[in-house]
Amino acid sequence: MTKPLLLLCLLLLPIGAKAQAPLRWGADPSGGAPYVFADPAHPDRYVGYELEMVEALAAAMNRRPEFVPTEWQTIVTSLQRGTFDVVVNGLEPTEDRARVILFSKPYYIFQLQLTVRKNETRINGLEDCRARTVGTLGNTAASRLLEKEGIPFKGYEDPVGAYRDLELGRVDAVLMDVPMEAFYARPNPRLKPAGEPSHPGYYVIGLRKGDEALKAEVDAGIDKIIRDGTLERILRKWNLWNEAQLDLRPKPAAEGAPGESQPAEVMKYDMTSSSFNWPEALWRLTRAAGVTVLLSLGAMVIAVTLGLALAVGQSRGPSAVRWFSTVYVEFFRGTPVLVQLLFLYFGLPLVGLAMPGWLTALVGLGLNYAAYESQVYRAALEAIPKGQYEAAYALGMSPVLAFRRIVLPQALRIALPPMTNDFVSLFKDTSVAFAISVWELATAYRELANASGEFLLLGVIVSAFYLLMSLPLAHLARRLELRLQRRQAVRAVEAEVAG
Amino acid sequence: MIRIEGLGKVAGETRILRGLSLEVTPRTVLGIIGPSGSGKTTLLRCMNGFERITEGSLEAGGVRLEAGLNEKEYQRRVKELRRQVGMVFQHFYLFPHLSVMGNISEAPVHVLKRPRAEVEQEARQLLETVGLGKSAGRYPESLSGGEQQRVAIVRALAMRPEVLLFDEPTSALDPRRSNELAGTLRGLVERGQTMVIVTHSMKFLEDVADRVLYMEAGELVELGDTAQILNDPQDPRTRDFVSHAD
Repeated sequence: MTKPLLLLCLLLLPIGAKAQAPLRWGADPSGGAPYVFADPAHPDRYVGYELEMVEALAAAMNRRPEFVPTEWQTIVTSLQRGTFDVVVNGLEPTEDRARVILFSKPYYIFQLQLTVRKNETRINGLEDCRARTVGTLGNTAASRLLEKEGIPFKGYEDPVGAYRDLELGRVDAVLMDVPMEAFYARPNPRLKPAGEPSHPGYYVIGLRKGDEALKAEVDAGIDKIIRDGTLERILRKWNLWNEAQLDLRPKPAAEGAPGESQPAEVMKYDMTSSSFNWPEALWRLTRAAGVTVLLSLGAMVIAVTLGLALAVGQSRGPSAVRWFSTVYVEFFRGTPVLVQLLFLYFGLPLVGLAMPGWLTALVGLGLNYAAYESQVYRAALEAIPKGQYEAAYALGMSPVLAFRRIVLPQALRIALPPMTNDFVSLFKDTSVAFAISVWELATAYRELANASGEFLLLGVIVSAFYLLMSLPLAHLARRLELRLQRRQAVRAVEAEVAG
Repeated sequence: MIRIEGLGKVAGETRILRGLSLEVTPRTVLGIIGPSGSGKTTLLRCMNGFERITEGSLEAGGVRLEAGLNEKEYQRRVKELRRQVGMVFQHFYLFPHLSVMGNISEAPVHVLKRPRAEVEQEARQLLETVGLGKSAGRYPESLSGGEQQRVAIVRALAMRPEVLLFDEPTSALDPRRSNELAGTLRGLVERGQTMVIVTHSMKFLEDVADRVLYMEAGELVELGDTAQILNDPQDPRTRDFVSHAD
């Protein structure tokens, strides 16, 4: 069991540490363009203007940046539990967030842009949307504006989904920060902007409450990259520069000519799949599949051993053990595994136990499946006839010896087919680990599909990966089951003959 | 050698056995008969500790059980007793996951800690004597009822018990197999085995038993030589049962 765990560690832990503490920053790379996202040309690599900005910022702070891919919805909680030290993900300084985290000074002034379908004539601005549904990102300045204005809206996980639904007519307009709009909507010939950008706001860096020293360091770093033109150069390269950004210059500011920091090339926002690097994407998917396999194996080892203890505890233990086992089984079977994972990942750090995401997923799935396995064992143990115990005792065997040598081997034989089935479903259930930002196959699918728009083809490939791994298991389960049925049939006939 | 004195058993409100006293001399076979519910199987199960006696005492293979022993001491003695008293069940209860050889060698190797090679050699000889010399590698599922029973007998014999108990050994056998079994058992007695057999078959008793015990309602009604009980019972209850049997 230690070997796969070790491999998993090696796979997921950053290799090689430097003396200076790294600047660990969190952002959601799934549909994260142009902030940070998997490069369609090299899906094994992340790119984005914020990635470049953090690199510049870290250099100004004399630190090494370390990117921690995470999930947008839980990004603030992940910051609080210490998964990373700062959030750099187009974070807006809203009041509710101000209650739980610190903000750096702003590094970008964004505006909101409304987008509609090309043939739309009725909607020319937000005021035309009162009776329609507007798509936007959940938990953002845009969604809060819509809420305040009383406009019905639908919150999406990522911009790709929102614009897709706009094209498909599931929503009538999409309101999004200009950077995302520029990247995902403007190149799309089936969509058009409605009205001018409006409602300016700031992007800031989020920090944990109490990290005042780091905040001072970050603020100084932001000042430095604004003053020396580094940030402007990055923004121009990504086509995100506008005059409004000048307001962020530290005062007194030396007014530089805009042309001075013109970058060598300007980013072309190209969402066509022709530039998607398939070999690299497949390599990434393969590694993600490896994580999925190791997660399932590790979780199954926990489930199999703990499940046996629970089964024995529940059917033979003293009353306290029996009670505990029953409560355990009912709890883990009666609540969704997703809730359990979120609890382990975000809840336990509050009492001082913070496991990395992959370990949380492994332990969480293991604890969950142990409940199911215990019931499989229990049924199998109950299926062993009383006569087998008596025959063993009559031969002078102690209860422990009889259980180990006579009962358990037979019970395992009965339990094996359902166990194999459970393993197949555990295997698929590892996909819930994406909720706690574990980079497994389902997470990889979402991220790469968002980066390339290749939902269909990548979906087929990812499904093929899952099938390639689960079909042999399912086949094994069927064979075991058939063998067992034959055996039972033979025994039933004999019993009949014997009268 | 079995010696039973004033043995009784009460389970809850129900009296199952009362005031039984008897002896089984070494190298003999005692047959127990009686109507259903007379307590004969319970008496047999008392002899290897599956049923706990609540009155009197029982001594077999040099181990003595008596009513009123504390739990720990009782368990210790039962463990001793089971090394001296083997049992062949009505439905054999072979271990389906083990081969014939595995069934036979499991207990001698793991309970008596005897060397496996020695146990297996002895097992092969025993299998030879019951006509299963070539079946050591087979699994119970491929054996006929009669073959399963002979494996069960060899399995019990491999523990070298002083006494061997049989519960309804002929219930799964046709008359010819029944005769063969009688021959096998007599052969074992000649080699020194003591046995107690609960059965319904008078024919079988005639072939194997030296003495017969007739029971009714948990009590001893009549105990005597086989020929006497079967042909000239003294008690009217015995006479009635025997005349209606077979």
